[in-house]
Amino acid sequence: MFCLAGAIWLSAPFLSAQTPLDNEATVENKQAELATLQTFAEVFSYVRDYYVEDVTDEELIEGALNGALSSLDPHSSYTPKQEFQEQQKTSRREYGGLGIEVTMEDGLVKVNYATPDAPADQAGIIAGDFITAVDGEEVLGKTLNDAVKGMRGPAGEPITVTVLSEGQKPRDVEIIRQVVLGRAVRHRVEEGLAYLFIESFNHPKLEKDFLVALEALKDEMKDDIPGIIVDLRGNRGGLLTQSINISSVFLDGGEVLSARGRTPEDTQRYHAEPGEVLPGVPLVVLINSGSASAAEIVAGAIQDRGRGLIVGRRSFGKGSVQSVIPLHRNGGGALRLTTQRYYTPSGRSIQGQGIVPDVSVDFRPDTGDARERFREDSYPNALTNASKDVSYKENPDDIIYPPEDWPETEDYQLSQAVALLKSPRYGSLLSAQNSHKLKP
Amino acid sequence: MKYILPTVGTVAAVALFAFSSQQQTAIAVEQPARAETFQQLDLFANILAKVRSDYVVDVDDSELIEDALNGMLQSLDPHSSYISPENFKDLQEATTGEYGGLGMEVTSEDGVVKVIAPIDGTPAKRAGIKAGDYITEIEGESIIGLGLNEAVDQMRGKPGQPITITVIRADEDPLDIKLFREIIKRPPVQYEVMDGMAYLRIGQFNEKTSPTLKTSIKALQSELGGRIPGVILDLRGNPGGLLDQAVKVSSAFLDGGEVVSTRGRRNDDVQLYYAENRELLKNTPLVVLIDGASASASEIVAGAVQDRGRGLILGMTSFGKGSVQTVIPLRGGHDGALRLTTQRYYTPSGASIQGTGITPDIAISNVADDGTERRQRREADLPNSIANELAEQDAEKAAELNIEYPPEGFDDSEDYQLQRAIEILKDGSYTTLLAANG
Repeated sequence: MFCLAGAIWLSAPFLSAQTPLDNEATVENKQAELATLQTFAEVFSYVRDYYVEDVTDEELIEGALNGALSSLDPHSSYTPKQEFQEQQKTSRREYGGLGIEVTMEDGLVKVNYATPDAPADQAGIIAGDFITAVDGEEVLGKTLNDAVKGMRGPAGEPITVTVLSEGQKPRDVEIIRQVVLGRAVRHRVEEGLAYLFIESFNHPKLEKDFLVALEALKDEMKDDIPGIIVDLRGNRGGLLTQSINISSVFLDGGEVLSARGRTPEDTQRYHAEPGEVLPGVPLVVLINSGSASAAEIVAGAIQDRGRGLIVGRRSFGKGSVQSVIPLHRNGGGALRLTTQRYYTPSGRSIQGQGIVPDVSVDFRPDTGDARERFREDSYPNALTNASKDVSYKENPDDIIYPPEDWPETEDYQLSQAVALLKSPRYGSLLSAQNSHKLKP
Repeated sequence: MKYILPTVGTVAAVALFAFSSQQQTAIAVEQPARAETFQQLDLFANILAKVRSDYVVDVDDSELIEDALNGMLQSLDPHSSYISPENFKDLQEATTGEYGGLGMEVTSEDGVVKVIAPIDGTPAKRAGIKAGDYITEIEGESIIGLGLNEAVDQMRGKPGQPITITVIRADEDPLDIKLFREIIKRPPVQYEVMDGMAYLRIGQFNEKTSPTLKTSIKALQSELGGRIPGVILDLRGNPGGLLDQAVKVSSAFLDGGEVVSTRGRRNDDVQLYYAENRELLKNTPLVVLIDGASASASEIVAGAVQDRGRGLILGMTSFGKGSVQTVIPLRGGHDGALRLTTQRYYTPSGASIQGTGITPDIAISNVADDGTERRQRREADLPNSIANELAEQDAEKAAELNIEYPPEGFDDSEDYQLQRAIEILKDGSYTTLLAANG
């Protein structure tokens, strides 16, 4: 769903039945492959011949592909021609104007993120909820695309979704669809510091908007910016190029990330442009469990390159690249396949682990009950991290919680970021992080 | 469910087997009808090859195929599935030998397994599992959306083997309950004299059902001094079982004639099943009790009794599971098996049970009408269930039922449907009602 692959379209070197599928395939491999395909073809022909109703070959294969690909990981899928064309027309990530991002899990639609103040959020739907039915129609047994189809529709119209929250009975919730739009960058002066909020990396003008916002802040602050806060909380990612562009603003060249496939040859390295804006100005990047993909790339680069401190909670951990492979010869659908993992400049895989903040701060008081956020590693079939050393987890004892009487309307993480930038701790933490981080 | 175990390969379409080899492609070219099939299988092979070469980690081919088969079959209907070699072995053991269970009737609600009722004297009952509980996890693994069959399979196992299930109950924290599986012995038939009437309850249709029914009827006859004035056959909550048992049970009340037919997609794929000419309870007034949980074999019996004018059907519309699944072993079970919906059931008058179920002659609810719609989940509510192909029938059955509710203040623990059945048999209205519904 948070596909960075928009920018990485693989051309499809299609193999006809006449050419060997893989030059390196051994005879043994080919025989094994043929055997598995034979089982499949046998079942396929039984179904065609004996099923109680007529079924089209297309429906059968679509069901099979969805079964196979969704079992790999939550981000691999097959899209038939018509839906693929629709998807190409619209790059919107929010479904149906409810302001939720969803995936399929155990046959149900799972809410991974509810956009703040969007209709679903206002109706009390939270990340981790399951949607079991849309307008009374069950989603079980449907593909994700079919299931969310019912949620899409004109703004202003009501829709009833059946929501299953953990530990509760399913309930019906009526929601009015709305057009959910995100701004590229929001900025303000916060306690004498420059504050910039990026909601998504999908915006094509993000870098430009970001630089414009920085200029506006410079003007407002009379060219005296003592510290910068870049807020990536709840940022679900977006375009890979935009994450490199934003990293480039604060980094003078050098690696931002690498994407690595199964074989060592399949590695791509991405670098920042030479030159940086506001060099040396203290920088804090705010993240939380909703910061994913492109947001994690930026946070990881800033952290690994020692450019600033990361404050908040461990990020989502979506560190995989999906390649969208159009299937020209086979009817014009597309395959979305996880082909690579992301690595930060120091060589850490983001997948499943996410970015662990330099200063862990929660947004609400510690109530004692371990309330684990929904993250990539919450998926039962999430891709593993692949790194040998995955010890960089958040230490629960290191998490700073707001005092119990902290007002809900106040942003504790932001207040901690401000305090950090204004204290000498910033410098000592940064050098301490750098000294132990830059070990190869 | 009817299990047919044909020998391997007898029905396989050989032409499609080796779609990836060059020699066979010629067939696809020669038969235009196969061109699309070839293209689709080619697409599948292509994507598989792509996954094998480009996926971010190595993948296990056989796992991938198993997931593909499951994806394909589950997209057909809720009862078709792929059975892995391991599960196929278990299945064969399950139909021949005995296996342990927990002792509760379950259903699926919004993708979650819900307990209809624990059975007395079983591990579930002793552990305090209650009707209405939701089961969300087995051994710490979520089973939400897993499908009822698979969830039930997981709860079954060797007797004595422990299992931990997570139960969610309204207004309570999730509860982990450890149980030890036991062989659940449920007499398939229970009987009792009630108010001078013979009451027979069939809980399920297994090999022992028909013989037990016969001995039960004999016992009732002697208890009632040789003459049975009326019979109540209770099929409520009966999820079904073996087809031949449904036919044999029907035979107790019908003197020959058709009980049910099963029909596949092709016109020549029709099988008719007849009652034996040895009716046990000739001319004895008969009321069959059904509800939303009466399924499959239960619906065959109710449908035959209704269509043949043999008795009155009382209660609520039945579940509507009117499809036959065939289990087809792949390479003798070496590659597992395929459970495929191949036919529909039809009552003697030619009505399809699928999706619509059996509509009672006398619609009576066991719970008071409190204004809220208290809908039992039925076959038609299952996602992608097969539709009833007779459109008029659908429309006709959808017509509002005139449901009789228990009077206000009726004691919930009492069985209103049963009380009404006894009344109808005793007060003489049976004959009039049967004539009206015949």
